[in-house]
Amino acid sequence: MSYQAGTRSRSWKPRFASELADILGEDAIISADDELLAYESDGLSGYRVKPVFVVLPSSAGQVRDVVRLCRREKVPFVPRGAGTGLSGGALPNEEGIVVSLSRMNRILDVDVANRVVVAEPGVVNVSVTEAVSASGFYYAPDPSSQIVCTIGGNVAENSGGVHCLKYGVTANHVLGVEMVLPDGETVTIGGRAPESAGYDLLSLVVGSEGLLGIVTKVFLRIIRKPSAVSTLFASFERIEDAGAAVSGIISSGVIPAGMEIMDNLSIRAVESTVGAVYPRDAAAILLVELDGPSAEVEAELPRVNEALGENRAVEIRLAADEAERQLFWKGRKSAFAAMGKISPGYYVQDGVIPRSCLAEVLGEIGRLGKRHGLRVANVFHAGDGNLHPLVLYDPGTEGEAEAAEELSAEILRACVDAGGSITGEHGVGFDKKKFLPLQFGEMEIDTMNLVRCVFDEEGLCNPGKVFPTPRTCVEPGMRKRGGGSAFSEKETGVLF
Amino acid sequence: MNHARELSRMVSRFADPGSEDWARETAAFPLPPEIILYPETAEEISDVLRFASGNGVRVLPFGGGTKLSLGCPPAPPVAALSLARLDRVVFHEPSDMVAAVECGARVRGFQDAVGAHGQMFPVDPPRLDSGATVGGLVSTNLCGPMSTRYGTCRELILGARAVRADGEIVSVGGRVVKNVAGYDIAKLLVGSLGTLCVVAEATFRLYPRPRSSKTVLLGFSDAARCRGAAVAALDAEIVPSCLEVLDERLCAELLPELRASSAVLLRFDGFERATAEQAAAAKEIAAGESAVFIEADDGRAAEIWERIREFPFDDGAGFFCRMTLPIRDSIEVMEDIAREGAVSGARFRCLSRPARGVVLVSFGGREDAAEGARFLEDLARSRSGGIMFCALSSKLPAGVRAWGDFGSALPLMKNMRNRFDPSGALCGEKMFGGEDARER
Repeated sequence: MSYQAGTRSRSWKPRFASELADILGEDAIISADDELLAYESDGLSGYRVKPVFVVLPSSAGQVRDVVRLCRREKVPFVPRGAGTGLSGGALPNEEGIVVSLSRMNRILDVDVANRVVVAEPGVVNVSVTEAVSASGFYYAPDPSSQIVCTIGGNVAENSGGVHCLKYGVTANHVLGVEMVLPDGETVTIGGRAPESAGYDLLSLVVGSEGLLGIVTKVFLRIIRKPSAVSTLFASFERIEDAGAAVSGIISSGVIPAGMEIMDNLSIRAVESTVGAVYPRDAAAILLVELDGPSAEVEAELPRVNEALGENRAVEIRLAADEAERQLFWKGRKSAFAAMGKISPGYYVQDGVIPRSCLAEVLGEIGRLGKRHGLRVANVFHAGDGNLHPLVLYDPGTEGEAEAAEELSAEILRACVDAGGSITGEHGVGFDKKKFLPLQFGEMEIDTMNLVRCVFDEEGLCNPGKVFPTPRTCVEPGMRKRGGGSAFSEKETGVLF
Repeated sequence: MNHARELSRMVSRFADPGSEDWARETAAFPLPPEIILYPETAEEISDVLRFASGNGVRVLPFGGGTKLSLGCPPAPPVAALSLARLDRVVFHEPSDMVAAVECGARVRGFQDAVGAHGQMFPVDPPRLDSGATVGGLVSTNLCGPMSTRYGTCRELILGARAVRADGEIVSVGGRVVKNVAGYDIAKLLVGSLGTLCVVAEATFRLYPRPRSSKTVLLGFSDAARCRGAAVAALDAEIVPSCLEVLDERLCAELLPELRASSAVLLRFDGFERATAEQAAAAKEIAAGESAVFIEADDGRAAEIWERIREFPFDDGAGFFCRMTLPIRDSIEVMEDIAREGAVSGARFRCLSRPARGVVLVSFGGREDAAEGARFLEDLARSRSGGIMFCALSSKLPAGVRAWGDFGSALPLMKNMRNRFDPSGALCGEKMFGGEDARER
């Protein structure tokens, strides 16, 4: 780190707290141990670190002043939304503070004419849709935590959901951001217009995992609700057939809004908890949702049915009404929670593979599971090849947690070997940083470091995440003409 | 040994003033380079850039040479780096709807290759049939009418193999549609005018080729009704692939059959039944605004879309601007522009692509063009939008810059260029202007 943990005087914390209080007021600083507990981890509770303080700014100006103070004092800061992330992206730094954006939760403008909602980062995902629903619009990205997760967190993680195949991820729905950079400057990138000129910095900020600054305002694209929605599921005797049906549907010229596969273990877990509608003995079910103009959906349905039939679907059920549609989805959306009923612990991964490799990689996951003597449940976004293998284990049995972790790593390796990615929507964060070199070589990671250095030379913003090893902001090869350093002396040797 | 000669040894082919076709090969350059390099591999590009960065040599990458006039004019480069010999489709996996292609490949050729498998690469940039390359598309992100439904190159790119200014070859992004590992550097390179890296190969997501297509024309005699119909089309439960609004001059030139003073054009792609129903919905919108309604047959539709696609580049003597505005503003400014034209006598021709917030305005190279440009710049600013000017021959009028204001993000953008290209080998002034070159 750029700061020296051991060199601070003993009195720095009270002094720092007092300066924070000047900016935020006493009630916006959490320093008591029992209150800090809630901030020690995000949704990935296996990692816990107690921060020095948690601060709760209410405005962009307060965020800016806090960041400036942190910069002056060389105190690392970790931005945090609702803390639902699954990669340890909001894991605190023990020598730093957590900047919780939960109080910045206002929708600042609903501009239906321009298809834009302007929101503060602490706004809950589903609130955006609620704000425009009456006008016939919605906000498309729908991560399964959407009733609690926040827009700021979605921007940080480039969150997905079950409708990404057709509508894309958060990056496709963010038009602009206002953010406080790690040097305390406030910039606006993009805005209300669908396109903007210059380098596409927005595509870097969305998915930057909180390493490039703190977003204080987000311009979100809203889209018209489709006039027709049809949801069906098909059951299969072999999961490979379900995988092949996904490719069959796409090959028929249909791009469904979503396509989800659950394997037998997941089906049984869900059926024993929420008792939805899926056949318990099916090897897999494929959930398909079509949406769009009604004539389009009507034209697509027979093609989907045909592709399912060709791939040996046993049963096909079309939701007769909205209530049944919700029921179909309820099973899928409760899958993670239901795992608790069949296993005391589970480890979820987020690898992505090319769709054409579904059968092959699922087979490999099965073999790997057997070799480790662990069960793996598969619930995933089949349309975009985003797997969520849930490795089940018993934390009480010695060595099982380690075995589960090892198995998860092997699954990620299989995804990368198939031409995929270590993460489709959860982010690298703290948890998967060690796996980044599976997917990218040294120079690719070095190039990402160039980007980080543009935004955060001092490495104070969410340090210790994404990058597998600490890096400086002066790299070999990146030197000014004449051989001199491109950067000033004071920047050298800065690590994050 | 001079730099040009040294560089010539690093590539399989080069052309210099002694070459037979030198005049033809340099025709697209306002200021000809000393040498044109034709590398065949990313490794050759790497050798060139490593040498260039280490020796203060400036290199200008180019594809089909059809859009070299975009951006601020660069200082004369030592070498122009042609991607023409990197023109293969690297892979196409139809069941994944993903393909990778080298950047010197013609966009049309790539589309034909994936089209043979019933898929499409849904872009329609200007100069599609006269040389536009994949690399040029990535570099400029100048996409056509189909961006209404499919977005631009930014939405389609999944990954890239790129050569950094220091010669390092990097594979950024990936080949899957969902991937949040690390920063999305492939998207950063889109629209960067080749000033950050030379993109040697790009991977794109594809779409199924639609089974049928319908184009409908709505003609109006009244600007307010045209605006009303454009807004209604955006609000309607239809999903057009293309939605364009044309002003009076363009309407007369491109759609004389309408005999109208403004027009809304829509194209629907998909299954027969769906396109027919959406065309019917458009007819209702037309009726609501007392518009003339014509459904174009396939031949006429192809002709119209080609003209629309080429529009910003169709007056080689003049220049055009591309405004990027909020959606509703991109419809409303059409009337502001028409009014200004009537008052000042500027012969604006104007098209709006509201779903993208894009407004294209073409005007001839008149002496008073600078005044019109200033009006458009102010207009874009007043609507919280951006603007880019492009001269198709000669130079932009005095006082008109290629780019409008990059706003508070400008220092970040300059810093980005400095980190990626500290020696200035990749002609960063195309993004930031000559002033920037002097600062450096």
